[in-house]
Amino acid sequence: MLCESCGKNQATTHLKKTVNGKTTEMHLCAECAQKHGVGMWKGMGFDLGNFWGALFAEPSDRAIADTVRCEVCGKSFSDIAQSGKAGCPHCYTTFYDRLLPSIQRIHGKAQHTGKVPAGAGEKMKKDRELEELRRQLAANIADQKYEACAQLRDRIQELEKEETPHEQQ
Amino acid sequence: MNSNKWYERSGRDGDVVISTRVRLARNLNRYPFPAEMNLEQKAQVVDSICKAAAKEGTPVSLRYIDVANLPQREALSLVERHLISPEFSRCEEGSGLLLSADEDVSLMINEEDHLRIQTMVPGLELDEAYETADQLDSFLDGQLRFAFDDRLGYLTQCPTNLGTGMRASIMLHLPALQDSGAIQQLANTVAKLGLTIRGLYGEGSKPEGAIYQLSNQVTLGISEKAAIENLKGIAAQIIRQERTAREELCRNPHFEDRVWRSLGILQTARLLTRDEFMALISNVRVGAALDMLPGVGLDLVSALINAAQPATLLAAAGEDLEPGARDALRAKIVRERLAETGKAQ
Ligand SMILES: [Zn+2]
Ligand SMILES: [Zn+2]
Repeated sequence: MLCESCGKNQATTHLKKTVNGKTTEMHLCAECAQKHGVGMWKGMGFDLGNFWGALFAEPSDRAIADTVRCEVCGKSFSDIAQSGKAGCPHCYTTFYDRLLPSIQRIHGKAQHTGKVPAGAGEKMKKDRELEELRRQLAANIADQKYEACAQLRDRIQELEKEETPHEQQ
Repeated sequence: MNSNKWYERSGRDGDVVISTRVRLARNLNRYPFPAEMNLEQKAQVVDSICKAAAKEGTPVSLRYIDVANLPQREALSLVERHLISPEFSRCEEGSGLLLSADEDVSLMINEEDHLRIQTMVPGLELDEAYETADQLDSFLDGQLRFAFDDRLGYLTQCPTNLGTGMRASIMLHLPALQDSGAIQQLANTVAKLGLTIRGLYGEGSKPEGAIYQLSNQVTLGISEKAAIENLKGIAAQIIRQERTAREELCRNPHFEDRVWRSLGILQTARLLTRDEFMALISNVRVGAALDMLPGVGLDLVSALINAAQPATLLAAAGEDLEPGARDALRAKIVRERLAETGKAQ
């Protein structure tokens, strides 16, 4: 059969489209099939500006959002929501809770499972150890076990010293 | 020894796969993203990355190219060779490119992110491309400590790149699938699997030369290895479908005629627009992949596709030409390189 769009070429593609519950069918040639596919190509990418904006632009949110700014780049949450782009890496820490829902929507998940850089791995380990030591220290103080406290304080100071040069780099 | 660049060679599954690319997005902690940086900050970032890349023990030696101060034809030729993005070719002061001698490793500094590490290999070579990028990334991270969060992974300007920051792409030649109108359906299917496929030359609807790029979309919650395996699996299916569709084509006498006519026009034409060239070379490429054309191999086709791109033509000529003169130059180069081929029948 001939293409129903141009009426010239042999139809090779059977196209079914459902719009508002109404299904239309067409038999098209390769060229016309591709023409009809234009909408599909456009629909494949994310339009992040609108995407984030639609999620976060509620007036009530905006008022709260504007008072907090990223201390590195100065962006507010609504700045990020409007542009769909973060201002600096630190924005993700500053606005983590509010960015999380849309990050989850983009990727389907929100926990990194890929490569961990060696440096970050060490730092993560140290951070976790520090956290644990501080918890133990607090517990020992509460229990009035002062001998153990001195040891814990030394180890905490040691770790903190190791950490600072990186942060000031 | 083969001194040709990656884009002038063919590789594994070269009948369908033209090349493989892996790109990693990385950023430095202490700076805003490039869109928010002033010139001084940009210069500092360029300087830190260049110094880190030049440190002893670097896995790849790279030379610096000041893209902002290149003549436009040369900057655009870098885009045509897939070494930089179109946006990056328009960049102003404060951006730079580090490029390996073979042009198979390129580092864009201050594009959308502070650093984009790119590796390119002819044919289907995802593991090799990733390994090279990964090594360089680890080497640079040892000195630069890229921005990283244990929940969100590598931190990038655009949230679509969070996590691994990795975009792996395969450049595919799909003339038979395009001919059968199956690309649409394919695009719908791969979208559901977290991948995208798009035409590489010309606007979406009918890519010139039937060249498509298949890439992963999701970067958070999936490891680099899993994303690559996923891409490999889908690529294998597309390759199989394209080969089956070509077998079908071969049974059609018009197909053989079209391949030979296309070669004939390329061997004799005095004027070739890029669009006409791409349509014809696409037919010749299928012929070459099926060993129909004596003397016309896939390497030659790849080299021709590269040499015939508009800005690359002008860059080689060393001057800007009117469109007519450019089409004449394209026809001349193509004619000369194909002169002695396809003679034995
Ligand atoms: Zn038609
Ligand atoms: Zn910020």
